[in-house]
Amino acid sequence: MGWKNRPTQELTKRGIDEKRNGGEEEWKKIRVVVRTETGKYKMSKQINSGVFVAGLGVISAIGNDIGETLAAFRSGRPGMGPVSHLDTVHRQIPVAEVKLSNEELALRADDSRGVSRTALLSMIAARAALEDAAIKNQSSLRTGFVSANTVGGMDKSERFLQDFFVDSGRGRLREVVRHECGSITEWVADRLAIRDHITTISTACSSSANALFYGARLIRHGLLDLVVAGGTDALTKFTLNGFNTLMILDPQFCRPFDEDRAGLNLGEGAGYVVLVSERVAESVEVYCRLSGFCNANDAYHQTASSPEGTGSFLAMKGALERGGLQPSAIDYINLHGTGTQNNDIAEATAIKRVFDPRYPPMSSTKSFTGHTLGASGGIEAVFSVLSIRHGIVYPNLRFSKPMNGFSFVPETRFLENQEIRHVLSNSFGFGGNCSSLIFSKL
Amino acid sequence: MNGITASCIIADHAVRKNGKLVFEDRHADLPGFLLSVYQHFGLNYPRFFKMDNLSKLGWLAVEILLKDSFRKADHEAGQVGIVLMNAHSSLDTDLKYFESAKDIPSPSLFVYTLPNIMIGEICIRHQFKGEGVFFISEEFDAGHFVRYTGGLLDADVLQVCIGGWVDLLDSEYKAALFLIEKEVLPVEGGQSRPFDVLAKENIEKIFRGEKGRTKEE
Repeated sequence: MGWKNRPTQELTKRGIDEKRNGGEEEWKKIRVVVRTETGKYKMSKQINSGVFVAGLGVISAIGNDIGETLAAFRSGRPGMGPVSHLDTVHRQIPVAEVKLSNEELALRADDSRGVSRTALLSMIAARAALEDAAIKNQSSLRTGFVSANTVGGMDKSERFLQDFFVDSGRGRLREVVRHECGSITEWVADRLAIRDHITTISTACSSSANALFYGARLIRHGLLDLVVAGGTDALTKFTLNGFNTLMILDPQFCRPFDEDRAGLNLGEGAGYVVLVSERVAESVEVYCRLSGFCNANDAYHQTASSPEGTGSFLAMKGALERGGLQPSAIDYINLHGTGTQNNDIAEATAIKRVFDPRYPPMSSTKSFTGHTLGASGGIEAVFSVLSIRHGIVYPNLRFSKPMNGFSFVPETRFLENQEIRHVLSNSFGFGGNCSSLIFSKL
Repeated sequence: MNGITASCIIADHAVRKNGKLVFEDRHADLPGFLLSVYQHFGLNYPRFFKMDNLSKLGWLAVEILLKDSFRKADHEAGQVGIVLMNAHSSLDTDLKYFESAKDIPSPSLFVYTLPNIMIGEICIRHQFKGEGVFFISEEFDAGHFVRYTGGLLDADVLQVCIGGWVDLLDSEYKAALFLIEKEVLPVEGGQSRPFDVLAKENIEKIFRGEKGRTKEE
């Protein structure tokens, strides 16, 4: 695999011990004690709590795989455009669709026609992540699938309702069988033959960041060896109409972190990482470490962040503490950066509180992919890892006017040959649910 | 032992705290009644006027439940949680939103088209940050309620749980909330009720408006 950054031999026990002397919290050894049926205790071998990223898979409006995605970033080509696949009356609103029809997606996802677009996107990206990880003895590892989404099989339910509304005796029930968010995860897990632990997380726009967070904890506590973690969401009338009702959709292409920003563009896609334990990491190639993660809540408003960015501040601060890092260690921030008035001011305020006066380069890749909701944390986790792998910083498109009251601006150029050691990725959701992840170079 | 330290029932245009009638307004329609409860108890919270009827009902019931019965300073925000149930989810507002969407969809109605938004309103008011969950059930399932809240308290997920039933559709409504605390100390006036194996029957009694088992019995 071309984009792995370390040959296996270098990731020796000795190498890890040396790193641990650097004093980073994550490298501490822990022991898991389990009470057995006899009432006595069984102690695991002393295990290390590091969590590593071994594989990546992504599909979004800017590419159906990692190669296409990187090419789009390099050429500054965004994924938004007029509606072409979604069945909606709101055809004037720009959206960032994956550039494949359901039939084309089905061909790529095991020839599974009639399945929700949410599941097809998930299948394609999650399988790509496993193929990228190329773990030979996967069947002997305790493997989990932690997948996030917010719409479930809503696209199919909407089709069902068209007939059902007219006559409650009509409508194909097959189309509502996978309405529920968890059934999307189960459908994909079945096809990937993952059985040891399967769960779905749905916490609005921070969903898939929380999936990585949870997957990492399962590994840290010695419960699983490998977790495919991330999320998926397809565009639906449900989300487009909902965000339209909230009046936070930009009728033009979105302008994150710009003073004149006017809302977000909705997108769709899926992004997954393969997380592995330190023991597994010793025998496979890995990209980087998931070194910090934190979830916090604003308790402020159902669909808005607090003006002080309390939740965002606590999430970033907590992730830095978990990773044993100072703010100055962060080389790139992948912003949540939706382009709404409220999110960007809250996020910028929180960034000021954490980073002032030294700001690392930062950008919102939603200026390329649109806001993919439950998939965004997974997709942006993939982007964050690729930033470390290739030493790149993504441009924040269509930025022209700095936000009042802030001394920093997002990066607008595609930067190459950067030394990127630590990347902070933000995902903040409705309900005040805020999560930050930190990826660190080995 | 976990105990019920207070209850509040709002139904039939009357408010009962710990089984005692504390307010009644037989003449108003539902929005008018909710407003008169707000005014009677001297509450001052501008957000109240933005809420839908379901959130207003739940929010008022929590205000009255906690008044003189709960000292916020004694508990950490993360250890106070909310467990609610109802039969009609947010259907009352869903229908109003559906009507509004025929013209211009209303953002202020849309926000309330989920029942757990009511949990959000209560948490925002009191800055509670513990576990929150909303169950939809045709009838109040006291057994499930007792098992779930008891589980949260016994596993030390929460120290305090505010929970019960808040249901509303058109002019039909009922709120029945319980304040359940871990390791309850005797409360002056004997208001504390045991929350043990008899809890299901006890909760059902209070829910029906009958006198629950008190600590003295």
